[in-house]
Amino acid sequence: MSEPQPTPQPEIEITGLSKVFGQGSAAFKALTDIELNIRTAEFFTLLGPSGCGKTTLLRVIAGFEQPSQGSVRINGQEVAGLGPNARPVNTVFQSYALFPHMTVAQNIGFGLKMLGRPADEVAATTADMLKLVQMEAMADRKPSEISGGQQQRVALARALAPQPRVLLLDEPLSALDLKLRKEMQTELKRLQTETGITFVFVTHDQEEALTMSDRIAVMSGGRILQLGSPSEIYNSPSERFVADFIGDTNFLKVKVVEALTETVNVRLPGGALHSARLPDGLRPAAGDDVSVVVRPEQATLGDGAKAHLTGTVTNSVFFGTDTHIHVNLEDGTPFTLRRQNAGNTAPPAPGTMVGLTLADGALQVIRE
Amino acid sequence: MASDPNQTEERHGWKWLLATPALIVLVLAASGPLMIVVLYSFLSPGNMGGVAWEFSTDAWFRVFMRRDIFDPENVTVNQAHLAVLWRSVWLSAQTTVICAVLGFPTAWFIATRPPGQRTVWLFLITIPFWTNLLIRTFAIQEMLRNNGTINTALMWMGVINEPIPMMFTDFAVLLGMAYVFMPLMVLPLYAAMDKMDFRLVEAGYDLYASRIAVLRHVILPLVKPGFIAGSILVFIPSIGAYVTPRVLGGGQKMMLGNLIALQFGQGRNWPLGAALAMVLLIITVTALVLYLRAVNRQEDKRDG
Amino acid sequence: MARQFSISRLPGFGAIALLTFVLLYLPIIILVVFSFNENQSQSIWGGFSLRWYEAAFDNQQVRDVSIRSLWLALVASSLATILATLAALATTRVSRFKGQTIIYALINQPLMVPEVVTGIALLIVVAFIKVQTGYTGMGYLVLAHTAFCIPFAYLPIRARLETMDRTLEQAAADLYASHVQAFRYITLPLLVPGIVAGFMLGFVVSLDTVVITEFVKSAGQDTLPTYMLGQLRRAVTPEMNAIATLFLALSLCIVTLFFLVTSKRG
Repeated sequence: MSEPQPTPQPEIEITGLSKVFGQGSAAFKALTDIELNIRTAEFFTLLGPSGCGKTTLLRVIAGFEQPSQGSVRINGQEVAGLGPNARPVNTVFQSYALFPHMTVAQNIGFGLKMLGRPADEVAATTADMLKLVQMEAMADRKPSEISGGQQQRVALARALAPQPRVLLLDEPLSALDLKLRKEMQTELKRLQTETGITFVFVTHDQEEALTMSDRIAVMSGGRILQLGSPSEIYNSPSERFVADFIGDTNFLKVKVVEALTETVNVRLPGGALHSARLPDGLRPAAGDDVSVVVRPEQATLGDGAKAHLTGTVTNSVFFGTDTHIHVNLEDGTPFTLRRQNAGNTAPPAPGTMVGLTLADGALQVIRE
Repeated sequence: MASDPNQTEERHGWKWLLATPALIVLVLAASGPLMIVVLYSFLSPGNMGGVAWEFSTDAWFRVFMRRDIFDPENVTVNQAHLAVLWRSVWLSAQTTVICAVLGFPTAWFIATRPPGQRTVWLFLITIPFWTNLLIRTFAIQEMLRNNGTINTALMWMGVINEPIPMMFTDFAVLLGMAYVFMPLMVLPLYAAMDKMDFRLVEAGYDLYASRIAVLRHVILPLVKPGFIAGSILVFIPSIGAYVTPRVLGGGQKMMLGNLIALQFGQGRNWPLGAALAMVLLIITVTALVLYLRAVNRQEDKRDG
Repeated sequence: MARQFSISRLPGFGAIALLTFVLLYLPIIILVVFSFNENQSQSIWGGFSLRWYEAAFDNQQVRDVSIRSLWLALVASSLATILATLAALATTRVSRFKGQTIIYALINQPLMVPEVVTGIALLIVVAFIKVQTGYTGMGYLVLAHTAFCIPFAYLPIRARLETMDRTLEQAAADLYASHVQAFRYITLPLLVPGIVAGFMLGFVVSLDTVVITEFVKSAGQDTLPTYMLGQLRRAVTPEMNAIATLFLALSLCIVTLFFLVTSKRG
């Protein structure tokens, strides 16, 4: 996370941004002190549960909402106070918001027409865009006459046609079924790479975020909790919320025995010692009680002597490629480990005492 | 959710100015004149219609009471006015009941048709609603006249020798009003039934209820809002009816609307007419307020 | 064969419903049938003839009042539709503001106040203005009908605006449309079915209004309904049936159109 900024000028620069809805006792703080730089040509994702403020942040960037405080710069230019029609960004709406009384081609050409481009340029760009999203055959259909996936493509083409600096996507895939969603994820990534446009993508689907993004901002309660690459977010969650929201996680209460520069050594329940990584800015001292997280695939069943943790199997659930084995540790903490179903070894029966071995670097200290 | 895009509504700003042309027309031709009616009800009648600009509560007094012409001390209840008032309320109530009794099965019938057919039946109910009230009243008059359809048919069949006089009776007015206002009962009842979850009826039968029990304990409570709306939609135009009682009731079987009109015609007592109009308006507004209260109560129940 | 148990069947309801439909349509059908009667009776059939239609068309007074009715309905409903559209734009999708309730009350007043009360109220005002200015033209009727049509035109337009997807206008703004352009290219085209429906409702309402016209009209300003109301007191001939039938046919056309316009979605 402390890598140097590759470009001096971020595409979008948000500083001290807050947004309050309503007044007085009914006031609701949707965004609090947002600091965020989005780089040129990156696929940036705002991830969080519904109500976390991600859509509001997107709408502030788009210009549908004005910030209560703070500033938004796009390509160095302050845009607070400008309407959506004066910003070099375009939006793909969750509902697509295709104009029902216009054909597919008219929808795609609308932005350029509003920009006052000559008719032949509008037609040419529209044709290019239809080709880009493989919708040439549907040019003269109305939005109601094409499928949901096709509407999605038209919405994308419409937003890309004016060649914006930034494309904002508000949960654009949530209305599609699973198979189509997977296809569109690949398609979106392809379009982003081909066009070189900065994508700001809003989703509540952690898997979607992990597979598509260059960087992810995890949001909750109107704040950005953690910002980083997908692997950083997954492997080194800095907060309980982030760890819990992304992937399956085990939480353990441990005591710090030795504080080093980048890591700490902690005593696990049961007495074994293990090294744990630290999030930015947290430096616990020896003797502190901290929480650590362990991903289920970072633990393996081992024999009792070398094991870091011991417990009793409560049950096992078969998932095809892997099996989840639920264990109650000696102090009663539940723990889940994931084992690949490569061999044919049967999972241990409920009631079996087992030892758990943790991979090196499996432990990550989190903020509470 | 604050992130709901529909939550953030535009600030009104100058937008309300767009309503001003409509409001000017409405103030000139609806609410302004209504205020003047209030004013006129407290003035004295002019000699040839119109008003004399003197304050008087005489019009309001005469709505309910009368003074003997020869002995002004002799004050009695104004029987004629009260009879008209009573007839208006009573006929309107009966109209509402007739519409409900026939309208409920009709709405049920439409609501239980297959979806494709439903539109057709609904259309059939709506057509009379949009065809001229006067023409429908005329059609009823054609049925009821001494040499009208009913009497001609009965005499032709030999049931009667003399035509039964039906015109200019309370019966004629009642029949006419029930006829013209029927769609106003069926439509809201249908709307309530359309919203009803028929699985609840199934659940009723599943729990051993008889048809009557299901009707009484499941269906009627569920369509009650439709009944209330339909009743108010029938009652309000009935109590203010003018055309139907004028055509079918004639000069003898007047309703409040005709009595009001009379004061501006032969009666030449505009303040009395204005006061009577206010009485009609008060009855109407009371019915509306009761209706709105009932609706609110229904909504509270649903929320809580 | 045993009858299948149907949860939606209630005994006798079907019969009552069909009876209601018969009662609703029988008088109208008889009225229409006897407009084609050869003889003068409205209850004894004497053979098919179009003589009463000819009589109606030859009747100068019927022609005059019909044209006046149509003209008045056209002018009043056009004005009402324009005013109602503006009012609907002003009152929908804005944050609540003071006076909103008053605006709603004003717009809906003609719906809530009995027609006869509105009628005599207008009579009083019109009589006063006539005395003051001496003007006795059609202006009074146009104003009265326009005011009366506004709530009817307002309802479908407002409904259309409220169900319209707001993100469409946001999408237009996002695609560089100004407020005026967004209205011109998005809002207005999508509002057209509501405006057409509002206009047709207003037209039918103006055409049907008899009470208000009766009280507001000056001498020689009869519309078709007030003319018919006047004629009903006398012994009527099937000519009246013929006029009523034509009137019915016109209403039926408009209502059918209205149904088609409002049931077509999107």
